[in-house]
Amino acid sequence: MNLQFTLASRYLLGRKLRSLLTTLAVIFGVMIIFGMNTILPTMISALQANVQGAEGETDFTIVSKTGSSFPKDTAKSLIEIKGVRAVASSLERTINLPADFVDQDPSRPDQIIAVNLVGLNPEEARTVRAFPTVEGRYLKDTDTSSAVISQTLADAFSVRVGSLIHLPSVSGLTELTVVGLLPAAIGTENEQIFVPLTQAQKMTGEVGKVNTIKVNIEAFASKERRAEIQTNITSAIGANYKVGAMIADDEMFATMEMAKIALNAFGALALFMGGFIIFNTFRTIVAERRRDIGMLRTLGATRRMIIGAILVEGFLLGLLGSLIGLVVGYLMAVAVLAVAQGPLSAFINIKLGWPIIQIPLAVGSVMIGVSVTMLAGLIPAWNASRVTPLEALRPTAAEVEFKNQTGRGFWVGVATITLSLLALLSGQSAFILPGGVIFLVGLMLVAPALVRPFAAFFGRIIARLTVRQGIGGLAEKNLTRQPSRIAVTSSTSLLALATIVAAGGIVFSMKGTLLTMVDNSLGSDFIFLPPSVGLWGSNLGASPLLAETLRKVDGVDTVSTFRFASSQAKGQVVSVLGIQPQDFQKVSGLNFTEGSSAAYQELTTERTLIANSIFMVSTGLGVNDSVELTTPNGPIQYRIAAVASDLLNAKISTIYISQANLQKDFASDQDVFIQLDLRPDADQEVIGAQIKAIGKDYPQFKVISGKDYFNTIESQFEAAFSAVYILFAVLAFPSLIAMLNTMTISVMERTREIGMVRAVGGTRWQIRSMVVTEALLLAAIGAVFGILGGVYLGYMLVTAIEVVFPMGYSFPFLGIVAAVVIALLFGGAAAIIPARKAARMDIIQALRYE
Amino acid sequence: MSIISTQNLTKIFGSGPTAVTALDHVNLTVNAGEFVSIMGPSGCGKSTLLHLIGGLDRPTSGSITLDGISIANMNDDRLTELRRRKIGFVFQFFNLIPVLTAVENAALPITLDGVKPLSAQKQASQWLARFGLADRSSSRPDQLSGGQQQRVAIARALAAEPTLILADEPTGNLDTRSGEEIARLMREVAKKYGRTVVMVTHDPRIAAYSDRIVFLKDGKIVDETTLSRPNSENAAAVAQKIHSIGD
Repeated sequence: MNLQFTLASRYLLGRKLRSLLTTLAVIFGVMIIFGMNTILPTMISALQANVQGAEGETDFTIVSKTGSSFPKDTAKSLIEIKGVRAVASSLERTINLPADFVDQDPSRPDQIIAVNLVGLNPEEARTVRAFPTVEGRYLKDTDTSSAVISQTLADAFSVRVGSLIHLPSVSGLTELTVVGLLPAAIGTENEQIFVPLTQAQKMTGEVGKVNTIKVNIEAFASKERRAEIQTNITSAIGANYKVGAMIADDEMFATMEMAKIALNAFGALALFMGGFIIFNTFRTIVAERRRDIGMLRTLGATRRMIIGAILVEGFLLGLLGSLIGLVVGYLMAVAVLAVAQGPLSAFINIKLGWPIIQIPLAVGSVMIGVSVTMLAGLIPAWNASRVTPLEALRPTAAEVEFKNQTGRGFWVGVATITLSLLALLSGQSAFILPGGVIFLVGLMLVAPALVRPFAAFFGRIIARLTVRQGIGGLAEKNLTRQPSRIAVTSSTSLLALATIVAAGGIVFSMKGTLLTMVDNSLGSDFIFLPPSVGLWGSNLGASPLLAETLRKVDGVDTVSTFRFASSQAKGQVVSVLGIQPQDFQKVSGLNFTEGSSAAYQELTTERTLIANSIFMVSTGLGVNDSVELTTPNGPIQYRIAAVASDLLNAKISTIYISQANLQKDFASDQDVFIQLDLRPDADQEVIGAQIKAIGKDYPQFKVISGKDYFNTIESQFEAAFSAVYILFAVLAFPSLIAMLNTMTISVMERTREIGMVRAVGGTRWQIRSMVVTEALLLAAIGAVFGILGGVYLGYMLVTAIEVVFPMGYSFPFLGIVAAVVIALLFGGAAAIIPARKAARMDIIQALRYE
Repeated sequence: MSIISTQNLTKIFGSGPTAVTALDHVNLTVNAGEFVSIMGPSGCGKSTLLHLIGGLDRPTSGSITLDGISIANMNDDRLTELRRRKIGFVFQFFNLIPVLTAVENAALPITLDGVKPLSAQKQASQWLARFGLADRSSSRPDQLSGGQQQRVAIARALAAEPTLILADEPTGNLDTRSGEEIARLMREVAKKYGRTVVMVTHDPRIAAYSDRIVFLKDGKIVDETTLSRPNSENAAAVAQKIHSIGD
């Protein structure tokens, strides 16, 4: 083994450029996998910290399954349970604070962007956790508008004991007196503001209600005992409640889940391309070391030893690449999180910290990187072991493949492509998705056979351009001497460019559709916008009074609001939005995919709902089916009247019901989003000023004009889509590595031939153009495959997405142009070093080259 | 005592109308400690004969016995082991591994046989010292002259203490002076260190260093000459003979 390590490390060091290029592929793959998977958990944990706040030392936390509040008496029976030591109910709400609310200073980044309002019975709460004040006092049962906050929060607000602070509430700004300070908060959780329960109920409009029960159990309970107590609590409190973790973050996790799948697919694709590159490199390594390998065989090295030596090389390369990949991936995560903080805080009020390093992920990424490298080296290693000792004695000439390329692989590829085309024609989404994958596989299988005709075709074009240089034909022949190697290289370009073209297809199709929807859904004159659009549950709403006040403003024609409740249907979390069908239709409206706007009328007459496509897909229900919704009053049946979406709720499983039904079944009457239209004759400026003045008392909302909002959204789309585009362009990087590798290798292999061409009178410039031409041919072949694959893939993805999100397919002309430009640029770039090397070769030495 | 013995050794490349008979019923015996040169015009089958004796290729028919063991029908693993332990090879193009130092190259066969690298290198460095390369043992092949590289290759061939050394045109890639140096060294290997040496060459001056010269033509042994000791008259006589065979 020692010798294998020596050989492997010396060979790697001996060809530093090649080792670097090959390692790049591994680095890139591991970087994507590790980096992406680091970014996501960091976001999730920031979210958890935001939503959950400090859970403290309580053993169990009980919330309702729908996330809604419940009568305070619910907790009563729990203290009877054996093993339960203390029970305390509280009403807890995250209050998102508008920008500059705390420090009043737009020039400084906000430290506090949300707080947790915790309403509690002071004495009862002390039985489940401690409140060690450092200044002032803890709450008394007789307190009304008192608050206890942490030292840190007091510093942020610049207040002391006895000072007043103001917080947004359902009935406008509420004034609280700070009576005590707790020690400075540790960690990244939201700051908590403790107030008497009645005060919190008033501020959130939930009189007589709580939403959290904390339970402490006997000390030193064993794991089994804890489980037993948990079971007893669960059966005592009933099926509508959840014991243990909080549910409030489920909405967000649903959104994150989609991102996670997409990112992992991305990483897998990157590593897959890395595998191709490594495979190609090792194949070449074996080819150029035939003599060394033959020599080792002559001296008595067994086949196993040869395989071992190549695999050790793969191992070292993989390990090195993976370790560097970890570091680069971490740095990428730091950078992405820093960049994402800005746009993200516009939508969701969360603060991202430093990336969280997960040891299992790091180990896993290294293992994946190393195994992909070794796996890619396996076939070349096996081939190396078949090298006969006689190879050591034969003068080697660059290898040429003359074998017929239309073998079994080709026909399997043709069959695969036919199948995938049939899948597309079927129009069935169940067939279309796998169809895209097998289409790419099919392309890769037929690629070796197509290399010659493609090269001949492009070669003819190039030969015409370079007729006087007499090297176009030579370049084409050089390229086609190893069709399978070119095919492997092209497959890498294929995947990269196909992704770009497909992404183009989706981006263009989606952008057009989304902007139309923005105009439809948010075409109102003014909007009261909460901090978190879409994640309604984390917003503090306003009492119906605000909407009433707005309706009374002279010149206001219609006011439409969203009210929110969380529910579950078929075990899935669903966002329930209460609308007033008449007003909603006038101001904005839904895009119907099944049924029609007649469904609005049905909402008011019975328990019916309009669902969005995500809800339909996740529950598997159809129009006119009945569905059981979890409510604070137990399960209630609703009928699905139609399928429709609006932009704000496009990402999340959502149903729309009437506000009357929402009040009746979910006991929710807070407005979380308000839109209003003015009369046509109204003066926008004057009335706008009046509306904004009313909004001042409700700082949880931002009051903007619909047109401004449309522009904001449009620029956010532009930013998001260009980020997506950059991400996919980065994915094209492995194809550059692959082409560079292939070109370097092919020049190296042909050293003697190049020497010969020079000896018989070829100029340096001719040699250089020959190599560049070869690289451009290589790139062109990759581009053709990539565009074919990408157009199919893009069409397929749009069709698949259409199932949950209505959008039309637009042909990705720009994506294709981008792919061609990238391919040719990369081809040219890949040729620079090898072409210079070839042109500068010493003729005598090249002729002697072994 | 014979170390090599071939009976009706035949090698045919290709089949049908394009078949080429490289060796045609060759019977050759080489005794222990003997230094034998094989000469003949290009394409006469010299190298093929050497490859077959060394277990690098398999005969079409006939048999080869090495140190009393028949190798014609051995499987790959056993042949590999035989090469590692019993045979040392010297090539025209040296075939040193470019990324290993002189001593690491020389130690390769013993390292491949499972000896710890350090003790393998100790053993190999003795051979390097005997061939005057003690101070170059940590140089890489590209830092050595052709003659030095070939001496490293001969040290490598001897490192595993094989009984038989097979050399294919070992001076073919060297200038005259270095070539003669290597030829003297090959003789020393046979005479001083007691190995059996079979060398393919087309250079009469080099062949003149051996004990016996076997002349091959069209795959057949056509003549043999036994020499007393190396001198310039021998070389002239050998040149005469090879000319008469038809170079």
